[in-house]
Amino acid sequence: MPGRDAWAGLAVLAASLVLFGFTFELKDNPLVPVGPGFYPRIVLGITALLAAAVVAAGFLTRRRRPAAAERGIRYGLVAATFAVFGVYVGALPYLGFRVATFAYIAATNAVLDPPRGARDWLRAAALALVATAVIYFAFERYLAVLLPRGRWIGF
Amino acid sequence: MYELLFAGLANVVQVKYLLPLALGTLVGVVGGALPGVTITMTIIVVLPFTFGLDPLQGLAAMTGVYVGGSAGGLVTAVLLGIPGTPSAIATTFDGHPMARNGEPGRALWIGIWASFFGGLLGGIFLIGATGPLARIALEFGPWEFFSLFVLALSMVAGLVEASLLKGLLSGMLGLIVTVMGVDPVLGRERLTLGIPFLAGGVEFLPVLIGVFAFAQIMTEVERMGGAAPLADAIDRAASLAVSHLKVIWEIVSRPLILLWVAFVGVLPAIGGSAASMMAYDQAKKFSRHPERFGTGTPEGIIASEASNNANVGGSLVTIMAFGIPGDAVTAVMLGALTIHGIQSGPLFISQNTQLAYGMFAAYLLAHPIMVLILALGSRWMLRVTTVPKAALFPVVLVLCVVGAYALNNTMTNVYVLLVFGLLGYAMVKTGFPLAPFILGVILGDQIELNLVRSIMTDANPWLFITRPISGGLLFASVASVAFALWQHRRQQAKLSASEGDADF
Repeated sequence: MPGRDAWAGLAVLAASLVLFGFTFELKDNPLVPVGPGFYPRIVLGITALLAAAVVAAGFLTRRRRPAAAERGIRYGLVAATFAVFGVYVGALPYLGFRVATFAYIAATNAVLDPPRGARDWLRAAALALVATAVIYFAFERYLAVLLPRGRWIGF
Repeated sequence: MYELLFAGLANVVQVKYLLPLALGTLVGVVGGALPGVTITMTIIVVLPFTFGLDPLQGLAAMTGVYVGGSAGGLVTAVLLGIPGTPSAIATTFDGHPMARNGEPGRALWIGIWASFFGGLLGGIFLIGATGPLARIALEFGPWEFFSLFVLALSMVAGLVEASLLKGLLSGMLGLIVTVMGVDPVLGRERLTLGIPFLAGGVEFLPVLIGVFAFAQIMTEVERMGGAAPLADAIDRAASLAVSHLKVIWEIVSRPLILLWVAFVGVLPAIGGSAASMMAYDQAKKFSRHPERFGTGTPEGIIASEASNNANVGGSLVTIMAFGIPGDAVTAVMLGALTIHGIQSGPLFISQNTQLAYGMFAAYLLAHPIMVLILALGSRWMLRVTTVPKAALFPVVLVLCVVGAYALNNTMTNVYVLLVFGLLGYAMVKTGFPLAPFILGVILGDQIELNLVRSIMTDANPWLFITRPISGGLLFASVASVAFALWQHRRQQAKLSASEGDADF
């Protein structure tokens, strides 16, 4: 059974070969000695070779048992944190910076440190409110950075 | 040169520059002291705050973060036994034992003053070497620049602790990011796969922010909620008072160690953590009492701290003379320069003399400011480490979003941030180093442009080898890969000798 290295190498090898194939769709210009596909072909070719070497090394190396540090890793928490961030990025143009950021900070805080009562919820909401307000005022008022307004709520 | 430096110092001591420098240094020290928050992440957080400032104000703040962060890591390394930043790992080897042996003040201040002196030695190199190196680079043609960038990439790929193959592949992945978008010769769209936000190419700052911020935060998140104690802390009520003259004498009475470890620190592309480990190793090898290393010897602390602060100067040299970032922190600074419309590279120092010498001055002034901040707030830094990560991380990620969005006020960069955040975490989990990837993203366009320019000037490919500087640089590139390969093999042999059979 190949290890992580071999799978990662295979993914890179496949992606580089697909992109390498696409470079042949790029048309050369007779006025220029070097076409748009010239450099990408070199880069993708070397990448494919290196990826193949990583795959080979991955198959040749004996797989070790996961180290102690690998065990007990909370991938579920990582996935949840990414998911909340993804929703935040998706919601930003519709809800605007202030509403989306308040909700995001409160939600991520709750995901990472689940509240155990009304007091904890209140603390998460207070943190979200203060952080959102400070960031908003610092950037909009003092650093002249215009933050996104919500398409749905105009705020 | 000295006149320009004094003019730079006179400029930077004005409140409008001194304030961002001092604030940057303070933020750097705090960020450096926080375990789990690296200098790169701290500078990423500070980046959006510099958008509204003038270039020197922004760069002074960032220089302060860099200097402060390189020293801040020692506070927790010494007093808690947890390195605040990876570059302070070697400081824990002797700093924490000395603190536990009842001398926390001595351990802390040897580290602080070693950082100060190491940083200033790095500053001498920075100020003395940048101009001459930039003048040499001005003589370069496209062949030499191409070879120089290839050398930079291969050195960074070879210096990573993971496998050399993965380091090289990581650099190539960075180059692939730059071939997607617009062809620099004809301006035609290429390899965009029909994805709209790839049409104009990908800006490197959101890539860098996404890759580093997520890789770091998510690796912290995956370990959250464990029952392990935070640290083997010393008595928090213990006195940190020392005789500063005695401590300074302890450092300057070992001039050879100080000079040698500072030299190790300024080596190009080495990075703070590798520099401090290498310097620690060198100091141990040269010591008359190597057996004392690891038990609380001052040489160990001096080696680690002097070299990681000298490394700041070394990293700034490559960005100011060649436009090549020595590490992720200077990559963000390169981005800040680009945002302000300033072209880094060999012409930087001659076209932006006031700014360049202002940066030198900011670098020098950041050191006494760092000492002052640590003198006033070392004990307070320990309280900062109790900030809950559940509260800190979402705020940091929001600042990353603001940083990416504010680059050109579009959501495109925020989407890039998210995509590369996922990629960065995946790379960390599969053992692909991030530094060569980022350098590939930064140098990719320049490598292509110089390759194409050289071929359009003269189609003879042998010129890359027959032109002496270009050939020398390419030879150095091959040599650095060969050296890295030899070193990795030696390490592997050592490992397998110590492990015996694999643990099935």
